[in-house]
Amino acid sequence: MDLENQKRVLEFAEQYGKENVVVLLGAAEGEAAGLAAETVTLGDPTFAGPLAGVSLGLAVYHVVEPEVKAEFDADVYDEQCGMMEMVLDVDDICNEMKAIRDQL
Amino acid sequence: MSNSVIRGTGYILVHVPGMVMDHGTTQTTEKIVNPDSDYLKEIGSHMRSYEQVVNYAPNQTYIGNMSIEDLTALGQPWYEEGKAVQGTRYGKFGEIMPEAEFILLMQVCDAFDLVRLDKDFVAAHKAELAADPVITEHIMSMVKDGVDQDDIMHFVNEEHAESITYEGKLVGYVKRAHDVDANLSAHVMFENLVAKASGVLAILHMLRESGIDASEVEYVIDCCEEACGDMNQRGGGNFAKAEAEIAGLVNATGSDARGFCAGPAHAMVEAAALVKSGAYKNVVVVGGGCTAKLGMNGKDHVKKGLPVLEDCLGGFAILVSENDGVNPEINLEVLGRHTVGTSSSPQAVIQALVYDPVQAAGMKITDIDKFSPELQNPDILKPAGAGDVTEANNKMIAALGVKLGMIPKPEMINFMKQHGLTGYAPTQGHIPSGVPYLGFARESILAGKTKNAMIIGKGSLFLGRMTNLFDGVSFLVQKNTGKEEAAVGGAAKVWTIGIAAEGTELGEENLKQAVALAAKKGVKAVIMEGGHAEMEAKLASGEIDGAVAAHYPFPIGVSTVGRVVTPAYGKEMFIANTTGTSDTDRVAAMVKNTVAGIIAAKACGIEHPTVGIANVDGARQTEIALKKLSEGGYKINFTESSRADGGAVMRGNDLLKGTPDVMVMDSLTGNLMMKMFGAYTTGGSYEANGFGYGPGLGEGFNSLVLIVSRASGAPVIANACAYAAELLNSGWSKLAAKEYAAANKAGLAEIVEGIKASNVKAAPAAGAAKVTAPAKEPVPAAILGVEVTDIEDAVTALWAEGIYAESGMGCTGPVVMISNANEEKAKEILKAKGFIG
Repeated sequence: MDLENQKRVLEFAEQYGKENVVVLLGAAEGEAAGLAAETVTLGDPTFAGPLAGVSLGLAVYHVVEPEVKAEFDADVYDEQCGMMEMVLDVDDICNEMKAIRDQL
Repeated sequence: MSNSVIRGTGYILVHVPGMVMDHGTTQTTEKIVNPDSDYLKEIGSHMRSYEQVVNYAPNQTYIGNMSIEDLTALGQPWYEEGKAVQGTRYGKFGEIMPEAEFILLMQVCDAFDLVRLDKDFVAAHKAELAADPVITEHIMSMVKDGVDQDDIMHFVNEEHAESITYEGKLVGYVKRAHDVDANLSAHVMFENLVAKASGVLAILHMLRESGIDASEVEYVIDCCEEACGDMNQRGGGNFAKAEAEIAGLVNATGSDARGFCAGPAHAMVEAAALVKSGAYKNVVVVGGGCTAKLGMNGKDHVKKGLPVLEDCLGGFAILVSENDGVNPEINLEVLGRHTVGTSSSPQAVIQALVYDPVQAAGMKITDIDKFSPELQNPDILKPAGAGDVTEANNKMIAALGVKLGMIPKPEMINFMKQHGLTGYAPTQGHIPSGVPYLGFARESILAGKTKNAMIIGKGSLFLGRMTNLFDGVSFLVQKNTGKEEAAVGGAAKVWTIGIAAEGTELGEENLKQAVALAAKKGVKAVIMEGGHAEMEAKLASGEIDGAVAAHYPFPIGVSTVGRVVTPAYGKEMFIANTTGTSDTDRVAAMVKNTVAGIIAAKACGIEHPTVGIANVDGARQTEIALKKLSEGGYKINFTESSRADGGAVMRGNDLLKGTPDVMVMDSLTGNLMMKMFGAYTTGGSYEANGFGYGPGLGEGFNSLVLIVSRASGAPVIANACAYAAELLNSGWSKLAAKEYAAANKAGLAEIVEGIKASNVKAAPAAGAAKVTAPAKEPVPAAILGVEVTDIEDAVTALWAEGIYAESGMGCTGPVVMISNANEEKAKEILKAKGFIG
């Protein structure tokens, strides 16, 4: 996750409280989604950014996960995400995300 | 005015391992943040030699030595040792220049004595640069002999100069151009001189490849991602003119266009427009390379044991010239734009850049042979977790096609293979963005292997922190149509129309007569002995330009616009519609029929066709909806009935007189009308008059099939062929796409949805107070325009407002009767409640 985004996530967590922040990802593949999820939960695995060594433990989901999809109006979701659902490896992303959450 | 053409291309790479270490931001940042890191210790052993870079398959593709097909067949990843090819420095599009020669070229490109090189280094490499076939004597005359190492050490150590290293040795420097101005610092000057020198090299190869004389170029647009200027005008410019000067384009001026990675596509559209408008005959679009992005993903490459693959600068130059009747054209009618109002979701981006322009031009997605989106080399980005960007784009285009119902789902993979490309360009920001394919596209289109290609540029504007918007533009390159365009100005084209009249009740002889009659009208008609199957195959292959058929099954949404000669004054009139179904809802269908009728009338030369609505069930609702559409921006030229009461709803008399150009009705009534108008002079079994039931029109339907009936006589069939020819001459499918786009912009879809929703009547709420009539009074005034099924509701609505009203049936339809005093107020109430328009 780029350093600027790490900084903003950290600021939001401090401003609103960890329990009030949900991080929603849109990464194009499982590995990248997993890394981003790890960054906002366990800490920056690359030890390069503001979240290095900071375990925020935030709730984190990818937009194609069923839990998130269920929160949307179906038409809006189809309009905004329907095409990408066909393009992305949704199973791989869901598995990566679940694997990170399971570590919490 | 003729389209511009792509007359030549130049694509260059420069192998710069020294600059990867000293100027790639990943490395320079690491040196500041983490100077003792393992990465910095290891990266040196991951750098490739010049030979390895030359033998790297994607690089050979970039300079034109290896086809994209061969590269794809070689299989990824290409960095593996077994995948090395027998490469050469020079290719048909350009070259891979070694670092030492490029350093000399940087010095040549420096007009302010900022670049100084070690004299031994210059002596050792001068002859090498001179041997490059595109390097002119004029350029060589600008190479300076060089300075002593002492001078270099002094400027690097004491004067903030940016060092130039070659094979680990300090061989020169770029000094700052101002003591305090950050925009003229040594670092910025270094980056800008690299962009300039690589841009110049690309122009030189474009000149060689196209064969154009340098003096013929009139304008240059630079679209790299750097900015040159001083502290008072940070991006003042102008790279374009600076590059033109070194490349010897003595008669050119130019300017810089920027748009992040979308810059090249923007610049291409601008160049094409400048040439098509006649402002300039020859315009060059150029983009040089970028040092900052060198080794950008180096950490991932090193971590995964790969060579640092971002070790080359990229550059390109495209010559856009006036139409020569040979080279591929840039079709400015197929332009995609991501606008301010477009969402940034990938779906909206692909819709705006790919599907909108294709549909607006009346084309099918499969009409585009190749899509060239971001062509980043997947070898570089996959190990960095960014995936195969080109393939992701191919997938998105295919997936949206499936969603829109334009590509059958099982065909998705096949579509990607047939219409997609493989990425091979260096990840230098703007360099991979669509344009690398132009060299191959030009070749392939000239050879007749490809008929067209869509070039798609996208840019991430948020990086500049001025806007969060995404951006992108696209354009179409196609086979030269210069000759056909010339034909339009001269003799009219003879169109070939297939006649597929299976089951005709009037016999084979009738069809032969029709063919002969059509010939007299300048149309070549051919009987399709194989019926619909033959007709469809020949339409698809282009063997016939259109078809006239009896009983053709159109999909729902497509319906035909008939054309008759009305008896009172012999005036022609379009009947919208006559067969097929525009919509399953009667009123919605009539609204859509109106648009179809307008398209047919316009295609037949009526610039502002007048529209009337036949007085059939649903006419008033249709009128209200059409007025809404007209107010929304799709201007409809309503006519007045010839009867004393006027209004846009037409009586039987208006049918006979041909009062409107387009008479709107449901297609069942329309069908009946066609038979009446066609056969009223013959006793009924032979339709002798008019042009038949007309072309199937519907949004996205681009096949030209006109309908006749089994009772259509030879004159009607021949007229149908002539009707088809008129549509073809008008460019009907483009015209239709434009009309549908305009109607949609004015809210056609919402209006149709509204009609359907309102037809599902809500049950009266339980316990709602029953409305009773106010005191009775004389009702001499009449309000027209309420639908017959709504007439009692309209009366009740007025009662609820304390106005006495009665319903009645006037000669033109139902009326609400009212006192003179209440007439205006009642109209307002009925309008507000949607009973009248």
